[in-house]
Amino acid sequence: MAETSYGWAGWIARVNLTSGDITEESDVEMQKDYIGGMGFANKIMYDEVGPEVDWMDEENKAVLAVGPLTGSGVPLAGRSTWASLSTFTTDHLVVDMHCGGQLGAMLKYSGHDGLIIEGKADKPCYIFIDDDKISIEDASALWGRGTRETTEALCKKHGAECCVAAIGMAGENLLPYACVMNTRSHSAGAGLGAVFGSKNLKAVVVRGTKACHVADPQMVADLSDYMISQVIGSNNNHVVPSTQQSWAEYYDAGSRWTARKGLYWAAAEGGPIETGEPKPFELNTMGYRCMKSTKDMGPAAEKYTVKMAGCHGCPVRCYAQVHVPYVQEKTGYESQGNTCVPGFPFSVYMQPFLKAEGIFEEDGKTLSDLSVNYNMLISATVDDLGLWCNYAQLYRDLAYTYSAGILEKHVPAEQMAQYNFDAIIHGQDPSSFVKILIDIASNDVENKPISLLGHGPIVWAEEWGCMDWFDNAKSALINYRGWPVHHAIECFGQVGGLYNMMFNRDDMIHSAVNFQGCGLPQELKEEMAAEMWGEGAIDMVKNYTKMNEAKAEFAWWSIVTDVLHDSLVLCNWVWPMAMAPAKERSYRGDLDLEAQFYTAVTGQKVTIDDLYKAGERIMTLQRANTVRGMRDKDGNVGCNDLRNIHDVITEWVFEKDPEIEPFTPGTDKMERKDWKKALTMLYKRFGWDEDLGCPTKECLKDLGMDDVAEDLESRGLLTEGGVAFGKRTRTYDHILEKYCGDNPALFA
Amino acid sequence: MKENTAMEQVGSGADRLDSFFTRRGFVKVSGAFVAGMVALGLLPDAAAAAPTSSKGEVDYYATPAHVLKVNRARCTGCQRCEMMCTLKNDGASQPSAARIHVHDGLQFGSDWESCDGLFYSCEWQIRACHMCTTALCQTSCPHAAIVTLEDGTRTVDPEKCVGCGTCVAACPWHMPVVNTETHKSTKCVACGRCAEQCPNGALELIKWENVNHSSGPTRSENKWPYVSEVQDFVGGGKIAQ
Repeated sequence: MAETSYGWAGWIARVNLTSGDITEESDVEMQKDYIGGMGFANKIMYDEVGPEVDWMDEENKAVLAVGPLTGSGVPLAGRSTWASLSTFTTDHLVVDMHCGGQLGAMLKYSGHDGLIIEGKADKPCYIFIDDDKISIEDASALWGRGTRETTEALCKKHGAECCVAAIGMAGENLLPYACVMNTRSHSAGAGLGAVFGSKNLKAVVVRGTKACHVADPQMVADLSDYMISQVIGSNNNHVVPSTQQSWAEYYDAGSRWTARKGLYWAAAEGGPIETGEPKPFELNTMGYRCMKSTKDMGPAAEKYTVKMAGCHGCPVRCYAQVHVPYVQEKTGYESQGNTCVPGFPFSVYMQPFLKAEGIFEEDGKTLSDLSVNYNMLISATVDDLGLWCNYAQLYRDLAYTYSAGILEKHVPAEQMAQYNFDAIIHGQDPSSFVKILIDIASNDVENKPISLLGHGPIVWAEEWGCMDWFDNAKSALINYRGWPVHHAIECFGQVGGLYNMMFNRDDMIHSAVNFQGCGLPQELKEEMAAEMWGEGAIDMVKNYTKMNEAKAEFAWWSIVTDVLHDSLVLCNWVWPMAMAPAKERSYRGDLDLEAQFYTAVTGQKVTIDDLYKAGERIMTLQRANTVRGMRDKDGNVGCNDLRNIHDVITEWVFEKDPEIEPFTPGTDKMERKDWKKALTMLYKRFGWDEDLGCPTKECLKDLGMDDVAEDLESRGLLTEGGVAFGKRTRTYDHILEKYCGDNPALFA
Repeated sequence: MKENTAMEQVGSGADRLDSFFTRRGFVKVSGAFVAGMVALGLLPDAAAAAPTSSKGEVDYYATPAHVLKVNRARCTGCQRCEMMCTLKNDGASQPSAARIHVHDGLQFGSDWESCDGLFYSCEWQIRACHMCTTALCQTSCPHAAIVTLEDGTRTVDPEKCVGCGTCVAACPWHMPVVNTETHKSTKCVACGRCAEQCPNGALELIKWENVNHSSGPTRSENKWPYVSEVQDFVGGGKIAQ
C-alpha cells in the first residue's frame, strides 16, 4: 500500500466519453503550486484545452476538483470548483463554476481530488463513481427529466447517500445559461450544464466511503473548535446581530446574523423552534445565527420555515428550507429553498421593472406573503430545469425587455399571451413563470424567441439591437463581455470595480464585501483595515477618496484570498476570517487560519503568505489563459491587451449621478483617470504588465510558470518587465497574532 | 408562539432502516448462547433470549453510563458530527465510518417510505447507538471482538475483529459500520465529541436511559408523494408537463 496521502486523496479520475476510457492519474506534482480546486482545474484546462477550442466542441473539457481541506473536518470546506469554457461571455474563455452541497466532500471520500470529463458520448449517459469503481452508464431513460426526478431515480438505483450532480432540460437543450444541480438546490453555473449537454452527459453520481486522512487530527479538531467558538460570524461573516441584543455591543440592520428572540423556524416538526440569541463562544447555537428565509423572503416566510441547511461540513446554515403550499401545488415539489439570488428572483430583480401588485405590504417596503409565492415558484422551477441566471442577469433582462416593450417586438403574440405578464403584474398570479422559464430553457430560438435571453446579454442585446442596455445602470452589467456586478463599485469603490474585471464571468469574490457588511462601526473597520492592508484602504459608503496603494493592496488581497479559497476549497462567502464577533478579541479575525489548517491537514508547514502566493499564481494562470484565447480588435485569437479589450468597465459607472462630482458624498460613481490609475496599480501589485494587464515573463518565472511563459512567448503574447515578486510582497504572516491568544496552533 | 419542547425525541427510528442494509451480506452464525452465564448472574435475563455466538467470552455486562439523545427537527444536516467522530476515534475524517449517521438519510430520509430528506419533509433521522443493556452487536460477534469498557459502553477490539459484519446485522438499528478502509467494525463509545460541536444542539450526551421506545416523531405525518412514482408527472414534478 502506498504511503498515506494527507488532505489530498492524491488521484484524479479521467473519463473519456468518446472512447469510454477511464483512467486515474496522480496529482502529487500539482499539489504544492496549484493546491487543488480552481488551481487544479485551471492548470488542467490550460494544459489540455487550447485557444482554438469552443465550448461545445468535443475537445472542450469539464474539470471538477476539490482541495486538501475538502471533507477534512475544517469548517466551511464543503464546496467544489469546476472549470470549463464559458458559454455566454465574449470569446468563450475559461471560467470557474463553484458549487456547494454534497458533491465536493463525496468526491473526496471516493478517493479522488478531481474528475476530468472529456470527449462526447454518442448517446445519453451518466458517470458513476463508486469509490474506486468508475463507470459510464446509460442515461436514456433520464433524458428529458428534471434535476429532481433525475436525482431521485439515480439515488433509488445506486443508494440514497449518493450525490447526484445533474442537468435538467436547459442543459440537454444546450442553453448557454444551463447549470449542474446537486443536493436539490446547489448549482454550478456559467454554462456548465450546456457543456454537459454537449457531451450527452446527464449526470455525475458519486458515492464515497473512504477517509480523508489528516496529519494532525487533534489540531484540526482544536482549530475548528477555536474558529467556531470565537472567530467566525454568520453568513458573509457578518459579526454583529441584526437587532439589538443584550450580549452585543453593536448591531446592524443589514447583518445576516438574523436570529433573535421571537423569530422561529415556525414549521419545524413537533412545533416552532426559536432562533433566539445565539452568542459567540456557544458552539451549539452557531447554526441558528443565520435565519435566511425571512432575511431573503420577508417576514411572511417565517411560517413556512422548517429549518436551515447548507453545504457539507459548514456550521453557518445559510440555506432556507421551506414548505410553501402554493409552490407545492404548482410544481409538485414539497421543499424549496436556497441562499442568495434564488431566494428573491422576483422581489429584488424583477419588481423594480414590473411593479407587480401585492408584492409589498401597504407600507411599500415589507415583502408580502404573495411575494414568497412569486420568489419560490421561480426558484423551484429554475432548479428543476437546471437553468442558471448569470447572477440574476436573466431576471433583470426578462423584466427589462418586457417593461421596455422589447419582448413583444420579438415574441409572437400568442406566446406573449401564454406568458401572461398581465396576470403576473395585475393578477397576483405568478403561475405563468413556469411557462416562461420552460420556454427559455427550450433553447428553441427560432420558435420561442424568449429563449434568446438564456444566451446572455452579449447575444440577445446584439441580436435585438439593445446594446445601450450595457450603459444603463439598471442593467447592473459591469463588463461589456457579458457579466453583471458581483459586489462592484458599491463595495469600496475602486476595489470592487477592480476585482469585477478579473475573470471571464462575475467574480464571486466576497472577501471585501464581507468586511463591508460585517456590521462593525466605520471607525473600527478603518482601524482594522489599516492593520491588514494599510492606511486609507477603505472609505465610507458612497463617499470615496482617490485611488491609493492600500486600496490596490486590498483589491489584490480580495482576489488572491478568493482564488485561494476556491482552490483549498473553502467557502469565500464567509472566509477569510478578517473580523470576528468576540469583543474579547477586539473583533479582530485570524488571517493565519487557512495556513494553520493546511499544515494540520497536510502535514506540510506553510505560512499564509505562501498560500497567497499560490493564489496569485492561480489567478495569473487564468489571466494567461485569457490572453491566449482572447480575440483582438481585428478578431485574431491571442491578445494581451487586457486593459483595453478585457478589463473594460461599463460606462454607467462614470456617468451615474450626473449632478454629483466623483469623490464627493452621496455617490459611488467612478472617475476615468482615477480608474485608469487603479488598473495600473493593481497590475503592478500582481507583477503584470502595467500598461496591458497581462502576465510578464518575469512574473511568470517568479511564480514558477516557465512553461506558461514559453507558451505565451511562442504566440508573441509575452511582454518583459513587471515588478519582481520580492519587491511587491507584503507580509501577512501573524499580523493579527496579538488578538489570537486562544489559537491552539500558537501553542503547538 | 411557544418554543419547541414537545419533541425532545430520542432513539433512531429503528423500524425504518432495514432496507438500507439489505445489500450487506453477513456471516450467519448459529452458536448457542452460554445460558450458564445467565444462571451465574453474569448476564441479564434479557440476554438469555438473544442469539449469540460470542463463544461465551463476553466478559461482563454493565449498563453504559451515557447515551446520545437526538432531536431531528434541530438537525441542519451539516454532518460535522460524523467528521468530528471519526477525527477523534479514527484519526481521519470519514463519515461513512462514523458512529453517528446523518449523511445517508439527508436527501431522501432513511428509507424509501419515509418521504423525508431535503427533497421532501426536510427532516431526516439522526441515527445513533442506543447503548442497549443487552448488546446484540456484542453477543453476536463470532470473535468476541466487542468488549465492555469500564463505563459500560462497548467497543470494537480491532485485533480480534475480522470485519464480517455480523454485528451490523445483529444490531436492531444496524448502527455499527465496517470501515471500508480498515475492514474493522466501529461502534459508538459515547465519547460525546459529535454533540460537542453540533452547531444546532441537535445532539446531547445524557446519562443513560432506555431510548429504545422513542416518543418523538421519527417520520413525517403528511407524506408528500415521490415524484418518480407519480406517473402523471412527465419530467419532474409538474414543471415539465
